[in-house]
Amino acid sequence: MAEKTIKTDVLVVGGGGAGFRASIAARERGAKVLLLSKGPLARCGASPMAGADFTLDGNSMNKLGREGDTNDSMERVFNDIVSQGWYLNNQRLVEQYVKTAPVLLKDMMDWGMEIKMSDQRMIFTSGTHIMDVLLKKARSVGVDMLADVALLELVTRDGKVTGGLGLDIRTGGFIHFTAKAVVMATGGWHKGFWPNTGMRDLSGEGIAMSNRAGADIGNMEFITFCCNVFYEPPMWLGSIAPYMVSLICGGRLTNSRGEDILEGYDPYVVKTGTMTEWNKSFISYASMREIRDGRRFKNGGVHYSRGDASWDYMKMVASFVFPDWRYKSIDLSPWAKMLENDEPVEVGPAVEYFEGGIVVNERFETGITGLFAAGECALGAFGANRVFSAITEMLVHGKDAGENAGEYAIDSKAGEADGGLLASLMEKAEQPLLKKKGESPPCLRRHIQEMAHKHLGPIRNEAELKEFIGFLEDVKNSQLKDLATAGKSRTYNKEWLDALELPNIVHLLEAAARSALARKESRGVHFREDYPDTDNDSWLVESIVKLKDDTIEVGNRPATVTKMTPPKGKIPYLDMMKKMMKEHSDTGGKH
Amino acid sequence: MTEKRLKVKVFRYNPEVDKEPYYRDYEIPHEKGMSAMDALDYIYQNLDSTIAYYDHAGCSLGICAKCTGRINGVAGLLCQTEIFDETVLEPTNKERVLKDLVMKRDQ
Repeated sequence: MAEKTIKTDVLVVGGGGAGFRASIAARERGAKVLLLSKGPLARCGASPMAGADFTLDGNSMNKLGREGDTNDSMERVFNDIVSQGWYLNNQRLVEQYVKTAPVLLKDMMDWGMEIKMSDQRMIFTSGTHIMDVLLKKARSVGVDMLADVALLELVTRDGKVTGGLGLDIRTGGFIHFTAKAVVMATGGWHKGFWPNTGMRDLSGEGIAMSNRAGADIGNMEFITFCCNVFYEPPMWLGSIAPYMVSLICGGRLTNSRGEDILEGYDPYVVKTGTMTEWNKSFISYASMREIRDGRRFKNGGVHYSRGDASWDYMKMVASFVFPDWRYKSIDLSPWAKMLENDEPVEVGPAVEYFEGGIVVNERFETGITGLFAAGECALGAFGANRVFSAITEMLVHGKDAGENAGEYAIDSKAGEADGGLLASLMEKAEQPLLKKKGESPPCLRRHIQEMAHKHLGPIRNEAELKEFIGFLEDVKNSQLKDLATAGKSRTYNKEWLDALELPNIVHLLEAAARSALARKESRGVHFREDYPDTDNDSWLVESIVKLKDDTIEVGNRPATVTKMTPPKGKIPYLDMMKKMMKEHSDTGGKH
Repeated sequence: MTEKRLKVKVFRYNPEVDKEPYYRDYEIPHEKGMSAMDALDYIYQNLDSTIAYYDHAGCSLGICAKCTGRINGVAGLLCQTEIFDETVLEPTNKERVLKDLVMKRDQ
């Protein structure tokens, strides 16, 4: 049996912003709430890494006492999110996003959030500050919290959630959680790729275990890459600092032949695609084009230098964004010298955000009774390309999911867990510890991550996707079954945790690769070399993944449309991108 | 050109099985601009996967501060301390070790 059993009404899985906001909302509804954080409280998941911007319509912001544009409206924000999401957004969730955002910003300000900067549609603070505000509020309303605990598997009975099996990472002991409702808020699965911009805990187990338990997942092929991420030196790998400088100041991107990589593209697309957050799709695409064609540098990236951008302006911007050339605790002063001298640094695209996730309705209910999902792990508002802030998304999803889960739990009776099922789950989880010899979890993890970066980047084709799926099938059928830890102690056994996370990573990579293979068009952050048009006649559909007897099946369903009718016809990808850039009304693609 | 190699001496102690703490030496390839955490990642992935350092939920970019340790006797973030030559990695407080470089929770 598990070392201990912990009972609660609502179990919130995930210690980022969505999890905290859901916990607060469920607790305020009167439910007993337990939040599981895989790492340190308020310092794991994607949220503390965020910049962090919170976006809402300028008129609402003005009413909250900030400088927002009074001519702006929720309708305009709605139109921007849907057009920039290439019309694949769930428009019901977009409506929820724009309506709830001002309420949530007011809550955060009331709870002590300080705003560093604001403009017409955005307030800016730091991700760590947002998490500190949420942690303090969660404590004040009586949310129970456990740090360094991972949920390994959901437990359901008769199609209803009864709780889950967890692991105390420090002791290596199993914990059986019983709950009337579970809110999945586990964020993205950056750990499927190397390099990436996320925390090291983001392995996607919440999405994978929900799929295993019977919930559908969707749009898994849409993966946002942040462009101009440091590829060198090793200490800065994955930091988005060059992205932030290039977004505001511009700069020059060159390939290994010394050519400017943006020459030859449409000048309007280059301008908008460099100085707005359209760069995440356009520059990632253009850089990857060079990298794939062999015009890359030693670490597989391209060069970023100051070029014609003014050094004085760059210094001024840096004094706001990273005072004294320090970003968080990173000392960027060596890079400042390089920029001043116009010396290049190697950068490239890295995985940053996942548009797809667990299918939810407007109450954030999944296909399993009692299971809710919120934040980046849910199939949300952003369609084929995220615009606007994921910080706003995590808070608006979290609040609604938490309220609904809290209400549901109060009105429900606890289900009884199946003891036999729990025992078999624990037995399965212990296999890598018990096996004397086998595949090394950390070696296999890094190999999978590098293969994913190579085959599932922003540019794809049938041959490479099929090769990657074949690789994943081999991994699933052989190495995953043979994982063995070298150390057998349960105390903080990192390779055991790697072994437990890997099946989730492989599951999601396969779901994404199969969805990308099925989508025979180019849209958002998914470009198919062999299908270079955006096909609005056949592909305005969400990819839906079901797991049947351990086999991934990809189907689809029409995108949810409420107010904004999608365009028709087949249009070349970059022409469609230009059309999207021109159609949105906002202040320059700010998220 | 011969690749530069570094000796990294790491504090090891698993109170479950070890009577006393000890140090283990590893030799790793050196890359310009590598951190102490990069060295540990190399060791974990290529030489000795039994090594414990707090990285299951770390940021590796100086945000979470969970990787605080002693690098050649000086306290700092493993992920943002560059290493150049022979390096000794230790926990901040040897009396409060959960395993190797991971500290007990109340630290």
